[in-house]
Amino acid sequence: MDAVALDDLLGSSAREREESWRYSKNAIRALTQQTFATAPPDATLSAETLQRIDLPFTRGRRIVIVNGAYSQRYSNIGELVSTIRLHHESAQRLKITISTGCADPLHLVYVSAPAGSASRWQADCEVELQSGSAGLIEQHVGEAGADVFGTLTSQITLGPGTVLRATMISDIPDSVSLLRKGHCTVGNSAVFAATHAHFGGRLQRIESRIDLVGTKSSCSSRGVFVLRGREHVDVHLDVRHNARDTRSNVFWRGVADQRSRGIFHGAITVAAGADGADAQLSNKNLLLSANAEIDTQPVLEIYADEVKASHGATVGQLDERVLFYLRSRGIPAAAARNLLIAAFCREVFDGMAIDVMREYLDAALVARLPADAGMP
Amino acid sequence: MMLKIDNLHVRVAGKEILKGLTLGVKAGEVHAIMGPNGAGKSTLGNVLAGRAGYEITQGSVEYNGANLLALEPEQRAAEGVFLAFQYPVEIAGVNNTYFLKAALNAQRKYRGEAELDSMQFLKSVREKLRVLHISDELLHRAVNAGFSGGEKKRNEIFQMALLEPKLAILDETDSGLDIDAMKLVADGVNAMRDPQRAFIVITHYQRLLDYIVPDFVHVMVDGRIVESGDKSLALKLEEHGYAWIAERKLAGVA
Ligand SMILES: Nc1ncnc2c1ncn2[C@@H]1O[C@H](COP(=O)(O)OP(=O)(O)OP(=O)(O)O)[C@@H](O)[C@H]1O
Ligand SMILES: [Mg+2]
Repeated sequence: MDAVALDDLLGSSAREREESWRYSKNAIRALTQQTFATAPPDATLSAETLQRIDLPFTRGRRIVIVNGAYSQRYSNIGELVSTIRLHHESAQRLKITISTGCADPLHLVYVSAPAGSASRWQADCEVELQSGSAGLIEQHVGEAGADVFGTLTSQITLGPGTVLRATMISDIPDSVSLLRKGHCTVGNSAVFAATHAHFGGRLQRIESRIDLVGTKSSCSSRGVFVLRGREHVDVHLDVRHNARDTRSNVFWRGVADQRSRGIFHGAITVAAGADGADAQLSNKNLLLSANAEIDTQPVLEIYADEVKASHGATVGQLDERVLFYLRSRGIPAAAARNLLIAAFCREVFDGMAIDVMREYLDAALVARLPADAGMP
Repeated sequence: MMLKIDNLHVRVAGKEILKGLTLGVKAGEVHAIMGPNGAGKSTLGNVLAGRAGYEITQGSVEYNGANLLALEPEQRAAEGVFLAFQYPVEIAGVNNTYFLKAALNAQRKYRGEAELDSMQFLKSVREKLRVLHISDELLHRAVNAGFSGGEKKRNEIFQMALLEPKLAILDETDSGLDIDAMKLVADGVNAMRDPQRAFIVITHYQRLLDYIVPDFVHVMVDGRIVESGDKSLALKLEEHGYAWIAERKLAGVA
């Protein structure tokens, strides 16, 4: 990718860039100064990767994108219903049109596969849901090796009365950096419900802008990141209430161990005239080490009347009294810690519509906890 | 002697709280400890259970002949020490049943016993619930989350019944209980009285001791046991208050 295109992703003005990348300044500078070749779109994936992306409940509805390019070889779309149309403007630009929703989720997989030296990919994906309700799983995986830097822009358009349940999961090694810029437009009475789980990455930037443009439209963004080593995740939510009687619910949790770094920036704007809006934001974070850091910044701007809004953000540590209580009943310290971390994160997955997906996220979460301790 | 506390001195946040406490407990015995607010009763319970932040400056605690203070809290639990907390904490997001099974199996694993499967575990749980007249609805909730004060205390006793400790320390388990609940708790304790098991019951109220009849009553003031006797000591305390002990001390009676 050339410098101009990257500039565009980082923010349109210098001031905007400065502000928005405040907490990830060094991480992004290092990336922009590094030399990357174009990542090979025809990379062969390891058996382990293939196993990780093979969710039994999405077989036949799996679109695999390797280093930014649609992969005919690894995609498996034999059971795609006729109401879902894929359109490739190029290998790196995919458009998915869903004329009528269906019960089974569509699975989009982005694989970052390393080359011999540092490499970079970019992709763009557009999803349009015209009627009914649909499920979408966006999964990012990566293989360890030389550095990979991927950028993904995506647009989601939800027609009147539609419901999209999206699950966004990333589990990538610390040689992989991902910049994701998503923009969702929600029409009249439509619902956008996203659940995120992010693990790992040298730098993961997750930007999600949600425009509630239709009357009575609503969105929820629930998410968790669990970090260790020198992993760095920077979440930027930008929810805009632009119509009457709209609702948003933002519920994020973060856990950082060792020398990792987490950032949560949650902005909710209720525009003038968007009366009757209801905006709730909750962000809680857990620091597991003195060398880890999490910054949280909730920003609520209200220009309308009759708005119900609340927000709360905290950064804390495991409660020693609770840990002692568990240990006094016989649960070893490390397992007690895991139990509390998992409980803290699981709140995000509560009430997920798709049970198998919740179980999948839960297993991914447990796999991220210090393994030697196990779950009690 | 199951528990032998000898001349124990403990500092908390730089301040000496226990100032030379000596107490011996044999298997099968029930000891009541009474004493004014701030005397150090809960501090003693916490030190025995292994809570961090307590500096032992002098003295020793032996449990079944070994140094109790050298063990981690979870090891003490598996060795049979149980503390029913004065203020049980709420643990959001951790299911009560899951927690109990994890605790019981962790203890069994430590002791080299086979872990219980879900069927065996639930059978044991149902039995204990029945004895304590606790609704199984509490099992489906998060540990102590949203429990009333009395429910939390009963949950402590329920945990004790399930974990079957050798040495149970009950820290004001009767406080905040209505009279019926207090009787249930006392029944629960009495059902567990056993020649192999000992209890230390910390309380402010003589009334509990009508139901859990102790072998010994100790009065703790300012970090020490200043008076020991049988059940009648609790009655005298009820009548005269702690000032009476202080006066007796001054008069050199004790
Ligand atoms: N972490 C702590 N930091 C400072 N002081 C403490 C701490 N823990 C206990 N103390 C002090 O130690 C003293 C004894 O407290 P403790 O809780 O053991 O009393 P108690 O006999 O159980 O009282 P009560 O009958 O009110 O429960 C009190 O003065 C208390 O303030
Ligand atoms: Mg106390």
